[in-house]
Amino acid sequence: MGWLFRVLAGPMLWAILFAAVYALHGIGCARGWPAIATPLGNLHLVAMALLWLTGLALHVLILLRLPQGTARAEHLPRLGAGIGLVATLLTLSPVILISTCG
Amino acid sequence: MTGPVRPDDLPDPLPGPAAPELRANPPQRALRLHRELTRVWSDAPGFYGWLASVNHTSIGRRFMATACFFFAIGGVLSMLIRAQLATPRGAFLDSALYNQIFTMHGSIMMFLFAIPMLEGLALWLLPKILGARDMAFPRLSALGYWCYLFGGTIILISLLAGVAPDGGWFMYVPLSDKTHTPGINADVWLLGITFVEISAVAAAVEITVTILRCRAAGMALTRMPLMGWYLLGTSGMMLVGFPPLILGSILLEVERAFGWPFFDVARGGDPLLWQHLFWLFGHPEVYIIFLPAAGALSTIIPVLCRTTILGYSAIVAAILGLVFLSFGLWVHHMFTVGIPHMALGFFSAASALVAVPTAVQVFAWIGTIRQGRPQLHLPMLYVLGFFLTFVMGGLTGVMLAIVPFNWQAHDTAFVTAHLHYVLIGGFVFPMMAALTYWMPLLSGRERIPRLGEAAFWLILIGFHGTFFIMHLTGLLGMPRRIDIYPDNPEWVLPNLISSIFGMVLSIGFALFAFDLALQWIFGARSRRNPWQAPTLDWAMPLPAPAYNFASLPLPGRDDAGAILALARGEGILPGAPRGWREVLVVEPGSGAPQHIAVLPGNTLLPLATAATIGSFFLLMLAGLYALTPLALIAIVLVGWRWGAFMGCRQDPAPVKAAPGLVLPLHWTCRATLAHAGAVATLVADGALYACLLFGVGFLSVVAPQWPAPQSGLGTALTLLLALPCLLALGLASLAARRTEALRAEAAGRRWALTGVLAGLVALVALAGLALMLDDPRRHARDALRGVLLGFALFHVALALIFAWRTWCDLRDGRMGPARRGAAPVWRLWQDFALATSLVSALLVIGQEVL
Repeated sequence: MGWLFRVLAGPMLWAILFAAVYALHGIGCARGWPAIATPLGNLHLVAMALLWLTGLALHVLILLRLPQGTARAEHLPRLGAGIGLVATLLTLSPVILISTCG
Repeated sequence: MTGPVRPDDLPDPLPGPAAPELRANPPQRALRLHRELTRVWSDAPGFYGWLASVNHTSIGRRFMATACFFFAIGGVLSMLIRAQLATPRGAFLDSALYNQIFTMHGSIMMFLFAIPMLEGLALWLLPKILGARDMAFPRLSALGYWCYLFGGTIILISLLAGVAPDGGWFMYVPLSDKTHTPGINADVWLLGITFVEISAVAAAVEITVTILRCRAAGMALTRMPLMGWYLLGTSGMMLVGFPPLILGSILLEVERAFGWPFFDVARGGDPLLWQHLFWLFGHPEVYIIFLPAAGALSTIIPVLCRTTILGYSAIVAAILGLVFLSFGLWVHHMFTVGIPHMALGFFSAASALVAVPTAVQVFAWIGTIRQGRPQLHLPMLYVLGFFLTFVMGGLTGVMLAIVPFNWQAHDTAFVTAHLHYVLIGGFVFPMMAALTYWMPLLSGRERIPRLGEAAFWLILIGFHGTFFIMHLTGLLGMPRRIDIYPDNPEWVLPNLISSIFGMVLSIGFALFAFDLALQWIFGARSRRNPWQAPTLDWAMPLPAPAYNFASLPLPGRDDAGAILALARGEGILPGAPRGWREVLVVEPGSGAPQHIAVLPGNTLLPLATAATIGSFFLLMLAGLYALTPLALIAIVLVGWRWGAFMGCRQDPAPVKAAPGLVLPLHWTCRATLAHAGAVATLVADGALYACLLFGVGFLSVVAPQWPAPQSGLGTALTLLLALPCLLALGLASLAARRTEALRAEAAGRRWALTGVLAGLVALVALAGLALMLDDPRRHARDALRGVLLGFALFHVALALIFAWRTWCDLRDGRMGPARRGAAPVWRLWQDFALATSLVSALLVIGQEVL
């Protein structure tokens, strides 16, 4: 089962990040975070971007820690980690591209 | 194959316990083994045998046949729709009946055809392709079938009685609330579909456990047939994807029955919560349907192209990508409801991204065809029909993923055309390929030539004639679900063309069914392995016997070439010398043999259980809420009998499965199939609870009429009542652990009794808390608290039943030093009840404090 969890690690992290960023987006809009300024920008944007970047760093960490090799047993976990990384990179990229609550 | 058999020597074995060096059993007379196994595994004779069957071959066939019956009914309804729309002022159906018919068409096709069809295929095929004798939980298969049949029958009867659901197959509120749908039409949908979904969750649990634990010895996950990966992905999605729909249905039914305002804007609810819950299920549902069909394609294409599949790892990765990404798309069904642009961006990106793993599979299949020598047998025709249709559906899907286009095409016939391209292209064509491919294994007979080809061309031409032009109808602005369009002459011709070709399509499906019936009744006896396939499903006589394999495949010998050796008993566990239904249980990753599970035989218990569950749903439908506790008691009484299989009075001796391989029986093991099944069930349960928390969060943040009115439930009082409950649940969790550890001693019984008493205390405390709650009809927050409390009550009661079962087993000597009985499962449920109750308590306290 440990091997299966390694395969699932990347996509599971994406699922957690996707849910967390979506929740943060909803909470921020309801609580008026876009109107709160911080040195890095408005609080809403900063909170979501930080979460996104932290998630990306975790994805890279997972990818680096997985054993290297060409055998299927080693290849599949790395494919899983790659899927998670690309999914997080693309699906959550709107946090820096689009206005938050409009 | 009489000499020693070498263990699997694949280049990339999974880490984990290695399969032991196994030697073949000595050969025996195949006919004697066949008779011995048939006596143990086959259904009892006569009508009783039909009712009491739990065998996966019988149940799987039954699921598929019933699904085809519902498909025929759904098809007839679609012909009525097309007849109505053939002219702009169609007088064929009145508006009210038309509403019922299009709602029933969608509901039947999705819930009574597509899902049960894939369940049936999985139940019938999985053990055969994985080298097992049955599914992990045969009684659960049968229970699922009866729930499906009874639930489907309720829905069908409502159509005949003129009270069928009429709010569209996704039952949006407020249209389906009590004010706008005062009759029982919506209740039929909510209760009937939930009843049917019991079978989906049951199937998901046992498909998951069967794939992970009931494979051939040494069949590591990395070399499992792709069909196994596809169905593992499907079952995982079903475990997480169906709970949102079940929760949504429960909430809406409770609102309709008791006035709890989850979706009523005036009292803190929000109709969008229904849309979120429905599409949290509804979009993954598309992939739940597609994945098994894709599994069939990945199995059939290499066989009919005389080659091996191209890109095994890429396909597994694509399955993984689809399984997860498909849960990030649901909001693309809600692009027009006024969601902020950034959220639209998340879901639009995910919707576009999900096309990538789909494309990976399509290219892998095309590459496989390119590298092989394709043979245009009938299944291959349907495969080609799939390519043409599904790729077009996928492309319109990418169009709809783009927000500006979606706004234009939303709720038009374009969407209807797209979903039919995806569902018929991605599910019906592959399923027809699968049926024609596996018919020799199902029926033992060969096809009658040419009729099937005629049916294929009628279906292909009829389908594209109907739905291709429907894109244009949609782009011309025709909305879905209208019954007349007298002021839009530009829609007349495309609708007439769609209706004419719709009839051609229906004739094609009828001819397909006629062809299958002819094959079953009049076809010549099929030769073994007619497609010369390499997979294990063809390593058995035709039609498949009830036990599948006279002996189970040895490591590295899990292909169709082992057919004679397996029939002679040279594999693992030959025959049924103890008169039990025995299956091999393996380590999930490596496939190393772990123990032997004894499965229950023919029994009426699943039928009785489904009948008691059905009585609950019928009482709810009739509005006899006061009588529903009687049905619940009946369910508990029948359910109690299921647990009798978990204990035994003596330490069973280990079984010699093969020379050098002696394995314990499941009663003496901890990591049993039942334990794995409980974990899988809790995954589904956890998903339901997570959706409930999402509901609380969503309404708190988004719904108008919040904050809620002042609560009469003070923080101190909540703590006062919640604390004893949580302490009692903590004690019960400790008791479950200690009972399992001390089961051989008198202290074990005392701990079990402690667990029972602690559970009772927790129940009483929860009941006290229920009395203190504000009126749940006042505001959505109060209603959600009522649901959280109900969730806790249900799980504490369930854990209490497991505790009671364990205590009874200890008292009756059905547990012992080597026998754990139900204790490990009790512990799982007890911990889950504690964890969710703790979170709920913190949530309520948090609401009060913040």
